[in-house]
Amino acid sequence: MPDPGPQNTFAAFSAAVYNMIDKPVIWFRERVVEPNRKHYPWYHQQFRRVPTIDQCYTDDYVCIYEADAQFKRDKLVDNEILSILRGRFEDCVLYEAPDHMTKCVDLKDAYEKAAGNWFAKYGDLGATGKAKECYMKQKHRLLWERRHGKVGSGMKTKEESIEE
Amino acid sequence: MPIISKLSNISQFQSLLRSPVACNIFKNVAARGMGGHGPRTFPMVPTKMQWHKFKDTLHFYVMLGAIPSFALIFYCNVFIGPATLTEIPEGYTPKHWEYHAHPISRFIARYIYPSPQEEYEKTLHTIYLEQEKMKIRKLEKEIKEKMAERRDYQAYYYRPVIAKYHRVAKQVADELEALEGDR
Repeated sequence: MPDPGPQNTFAAFSAAVYNMIDKPVIWFRERVVEPNRKHYPWYHQQFRRVPTIDQCYTDDYVCIYEADAQFKRDKLVDNEILSILRGRFEDCVLYEAPDHMTKCVDLKDAYEKAAGNWFAKYGDLGATGKAKECYMKQKHRLLWERRHGKVGSGMKTKEESIEE
Repeated sequence: MPIISKLSNISQFQSLLRSPVACNIFKNVAARGMGGHGPRTFPMVPTKMQWHKFKDTLHFYVMLGAIPSFALIFYCNVFIGPATLTEIPEGYTPKHWEYHAHPISRFIARYIYPSPQEEYEKTLHTIYLEQEKMKIRKLEKEIKEKMAERRDYQAYYYRPVIAKYHRVAKQVADELEALEGDR
């Protein structure tokens, strides 16, 4: 339904105080700024996929440099994806305020899962974390899982470990 | 009015005005400082140099810094405005400055900074050259080690004296002897 406007004198007064600043700004934007602006495009850059670090020879430093650059770009994209999921969850919590524990569970689970995956891939690599360190981290994680089972199920002693 | 009628008698008054009695009368008159340039003294006041210097600096930075920057930024935002994000059309590769939204960023990317692709490819080329040098040096090292181990290939290992520097020294010595004679 359309906005009914201020309902009492005090609301009218506070609306008037707000509009003292708002109305001139909106007038300036709509009458001076918008008509005089030019319209032209800008684009998001599309990068070609290059071979990843596991497809490079160990002494092919050109390939390793390109894999590192791709790794950095992928990390930026993953950061943004995680921010979007987190923003969705937080908006849900703000909107649903007292019922958020029941209504926002799906978004929370999605975010927690994505954050866990992000940490498994990029976490603890340090400031100079490159593609090779990430690859080695994955290798160590797979070895650990081979010996002790899924991550999160606790570490077994040497006698109990599954592989041997 | 009475003064005008006395103008004709001014010559009688001149001798009277110059008499010693009249001189004393003119010495004790009160000096009123109205109009005039006042007594010539040096005014002892605390310095106002910091205040003047502050005004000067403020004037400089506002007129040459704040106002031109503000005018440029106002013009760029109001009369040009930022670009609108669009899909890349088929078969078109955008120029590297078309990946920025604000007109000033586009200007800087277009005219001041080199394109990121250019920098990337230059880096790759440098890495490639260094990699080739590494391979050559590694190979040379292996050869030298093998020659040291087997001791059966003398030519590469042993460089004889070259005559180039001896020729140069001889030429210089001959020229000096021609100039200075046999010492």
